[in-house]
Amino acid sequence: MMDQHEDPKFEAWLQDAARTTYHAPRPTPRDEMWARIEKARRHKPVIVLRPWMAWAVAAAAVLILGIGIGRWTVSPTGSPTRVAVAPSDSIQATGPDVVYQMAATQYLSRTEAFLTSFRADLGPNHAANSARFASQARDLLTTTRLMLDSPAGKDQRMRSLLEDLELVLVQISQMDPAHGGHDADLITQGMNQSHVLPKLRSAIPAGPVPVRTEGAL
Amino acid sequence: MDESQLIARVRAGDSAAERALYDAHVDRVYRLAFRLAGDDALAQDFTQETFIRAFDRLGSFRGDAAFSTWLHTITTTVVLNGLRKVKRFRQREADIDDAHEIGTVTRHAEPDLKVRLKQAIEELPEGYRTVFLMHDVEGYTHEEIGAALGVETGTSKAQLSRARAKLRVALADFAGEWTT
Repeated sequence: MMDQHEDPKFEAWLQDAARTTYHAPRPTPRDEMWARIEKARRHKPVIVLRPWMAWAVAAAAVLILGIGIGRWTVSPTGSPTRVAVAPSDSIQATGPDVVYQMAATQYLSRTEAFLTSFRADLGPNHAANSARFASQARDLLTTTRLMLDSPAGKDQRMRSLLEDLELVLVQISQMDPAHGGHDADLITQGMNQSHVLPKLRSAIPAGPVPVRTEGAL
Repeated sequence: MDESQLIARVRAGDSAAERALYDAHVDRVYRLAFRLAGDDALAQDFTQETFIRAFDRLGSFRGDAAFSTWLHTITTTVVLNGLRKVKRFRQREADIDDAHEIGTVTRHAEPDLKVRLKQAIEELPEGYRTVFLMHDVEGYTHEEIGAALGVETGTSKAQLSRARAKLRVALADFAGEWTT
């Protein structure tokens, strides 16, 4: 029995209209995308966990989580148990690393969202948005330079990524609103040639930001 | 060579097989990404990310379902998560812009079908829109949609039905075009 809401004539008309007018794709740029996929995969760090390593990582994660919960729940006035735990060198060493990891993940996620939006908003209205993009790029640039001077700058891969991001953000921050569209095209070309976005994405742990950082706590 | 042999060769590190597997599926992945994103740069980013993840995780593909089903699960996850990020970012910017535009009145000219259809599709809830585009526009079956989105086939059918009903109301001005 036909559902009272079904209307084959409407459905055929709707399908035809949507297929031909709604986000009709252009021919697939196969070779361009394949070149970027290959490049991103070549640069991606690969860590293969053997079964015993997986158990070791899981055990370490449980231990860190337990210590973390303990430190959060211990009263600030202290107790004999707390005194016994706090002086451990290994625990103290994880503190700054965890904070740094969270900050780095949030910074990279924010920059990824910004650059993705910058590329996506190219178009007739782009020139009008260039002042706003420039202001946001300046904010991110400050953080990028702080990251370069932090322990992150000592890691060669991260340093290279941060330097690429610094260059792109400097260019966006200096866009001339009068020539916003042209400048933006040049910046986007540069981003594509240096594969900034794929490199940035491969540096960000999988999952939404709260998930990426919650393990650190 | 059938697909399972191709996948075995990819797992063994054969780069020609990787390209062959990519060529076999890239059109459908890119088309779906483009339909959902409506932007070529985003669609390319999402397609690339899909294949990078698929090749990295091919070891976890057990072959219980078709490779295309598994790949479209990754595609929809990548695209929908990516679009949510872009939407959140744009919304934040729009909120700032709106704060500067209080008191202004915008008048809209009567838009044509293409504009009205675009607006109506974009106003659908995310689940309805995804199912509508996958089924009615890109030709996926309800079984494929259910597997890709992790929902029951019946849920996919119900969402499509609700999407069409909402679009019918939104496009009522054009009723003459489908009743004649």
